Amino acid sequence: MTPLLEIKNLHVRFKIYEGELKVLNGVDMVIGEGEKVGLVGETGCGKTTTIKSVLRVLPTPPARISGGEIIYRGKDILKMKSAEIRSLRRGEMSAIFQDPLAALNPVFTVGHQLQDVIKYSSRVGGREHLSKKEIRARSIAVLKETGMPDSERILSNYPIQLSGGMRQRVCISEALSAAARLLMADEPTTNLDVTIQAQILRQLNELVAKRKPSILLISHSLGVVRNLTERVYVMYAGNMVEVARTKDLFADPLHPYAKALLKSVPKLTGEGISRGIRGRIPNYLNPPSGCRFHPRCDHAMPICEKERPTFFTTGDSDSHKVACFLYRR
Amino acid sequence: MSEEILTVENLKKYFVTKQGTVRAVDSVSFSVKQGETCGLVGESGSGKTTIAHTLVGIYEPTEGKAFFKGQNISKVFSQRPKTLKKEIRIVFQDPGSSLNPRRSIKQILELPLKVHRICSNSDRMGRVMQLLRMVELPPEDYMYKSPQVIGGGEKQMVAIARALAPNPSFVVLDEPTSALDVSVQAKIINLLMKLQQNFNLTYLFITHDLSLMRNVASRVVIMYLGKISEVAPTVEFFQNPLHPYTKMLLSSIPAVSDEEESLKPKEVLSRGEIPSPVNVPPGCSFHLRCPQKMEICSQVDPTMVEVEKDHLVRCHLFSDGREAT
Repeated sequence: MTPLLEIKNLHVRFKIYEGELKVLNGVDMVIGEGEKVGLVGETGCGKTTTIKSVLRVLPTPPARISGGEIIYRGKDILKMKSAEIRSLRRGEMSAIFQDPLAALNPVFTVGHQLQDVIKYSSRVGGREHLSKKEIRARSIAVLKETGMPDSERILSNYPIQLSGGMRQRVCISEALSAAARLLMADEPTTNLDVTIQAQILRQLNELVAKRKPSILLISHSLGVVRNLTERVYVMYAGNMVEVARTKDLFADPLHPYAKALLKSVPKLTGEGISRGIRGRIPNYLNPPSGCRFHPRCDHAMPICEKERPTFFTTGDSDSHKVACFLYRR
Repeated sequence: MSEEILTVENLKKYFVTKQGTVRAVDSVSFSVKQGETCGLVGESGSGKTTIAHTLVGIYEPTEGKAFFKGQNISKVFSQRPKTLKKEIRIVFQDPGSSLNPRRSIKQILELPLKVHRICSNSDRMGRVMQLLRMVELPPEDYMYKSPQVIGGGEKQMVAIARALAPNPSFVVLDEPTSALDVSVQAKIINLLMKLQQNFNLTYLFITHDLSLMRNVASRVVIMYLGKISEVAPTVEFFQNPLHPYTKMLLSSIPAVSDEEESLKPKEVLSRGEIPSPVNVPPGCSFHLRCPQKMEICSQVDPTMVEVEKDHLVRCHLFSDGREAT
């Protein structure tokens, strides 16, 4: 599979009064053409920061990308001119953010916002110039695709008049009408009820099957990731700690953090609840040296404090990699 | 053990708004036994929190009654005797907004001790430290901190300590972990279970997470649009869900393992959204989304039937005594 997006050793820091928060600490990630990739981790692990860096929408300052490369189809996004990145955002990649109410502008109607997206994304590279009628027809069609009832009426509604599930559908429609190649969904269903979540995910899945963009799904809900992706990255405190095919990761997690995280999820089988992971996400002002997980790890060794582990391959396939000294050979 | 500590009879809470009357809770009856964890599950807008707030006296019920140890508690907070306030405590969903940011944790925990005269002035400090130790927060580190500087999980621990300060016997937990990560959630749930055993507490545990419910509750009450649709003991409930809504809920859960997947009822595709509680559809409120809708559903509201022992369901599929399919 040819890589569509390749993040190499990305470092992002945030400047605050007390100093610099070293949030992303060498993130590596590959998304293949047409691949569905998941990214999981606790709150504050840097998941959203990663996709914001890819879209180049991080507020700089306070943020600063202090190292690394983000290669999108052979070109480094971090070195692109702003016109280039803009055309990328219009025509090739887009994101669905966590809170649809914050993502939609409250003073414009849904139709207005959606049609703007369609208008500008269709113009990229002089692809086509749509008339107002065509834009409207297309906006209705894309809303229908996401399973929105009564989509013609919805176009003249304001975001506050819609329910949470409907708002999220509007966001998904916007993202889909712009994205041809890469769709990044940042916790698209966290605020929704389970039955609505199931609907949205099902529709997202159908749309992805039909249009075949690459997808990066960020979530802290492990079940959602398991149902929708082919490969998963596990992130902890600005580092990738494990990557594997979804099936392998859920069957046999290797990294102590991934293990503990999976164990913490309450199961329908009713086997009780684990003790959770002791401690909490480190302070990024002075993150622990070496492996950032070592203060919370039950298997910490002396070397964990000194050196940062690199990815070690385990098992018979190359696809399952884990950044932990326990698996060094 | 099986003594009923709380009985709710025909509880109704309506809110009058410009758009019409919102029937947030509509004729709800259930009971909670001494020492158990009763789970209250439903989607947002189904009236779970309204029930919780009515039980602790934030709202006055429009109609119906609630009894706590034989005492009528359908009164607002200001009219309740102090002993009742001491017995029934609540932990709110969002610990960020339920703790006063201008008070230190010590002050927050002292307040219920002062109000209920739990201990003498000289013992108070010791009791605060004991409470903090009980929720596994080292008192020396946390006592003088403000809630703003500690993490979400720790805030919720403080909120739990505050709820337990006057030695209550009944605690309402209103989605105590829904704003938190799974790893933190596991920690808090563990603590809650331990405290329940140590102090013989009774919980009304409100959540929308059914897999969590499976692990904590002994009995489950499912709500939809202000009404109860199914009540069953947990194990029975997950093996044999009856109401179509419950099946839809269960099949919507994203599972993390194959064993779990096999426990879910066959894919019941969820569709539609919760209607606004201002215009509840006539008949059964679920009929618009129900895959097994019959003609009667849009006309007559079903009543509760006991299908098996302790397993109640409110659905026309079972109202004529038909067996589950």
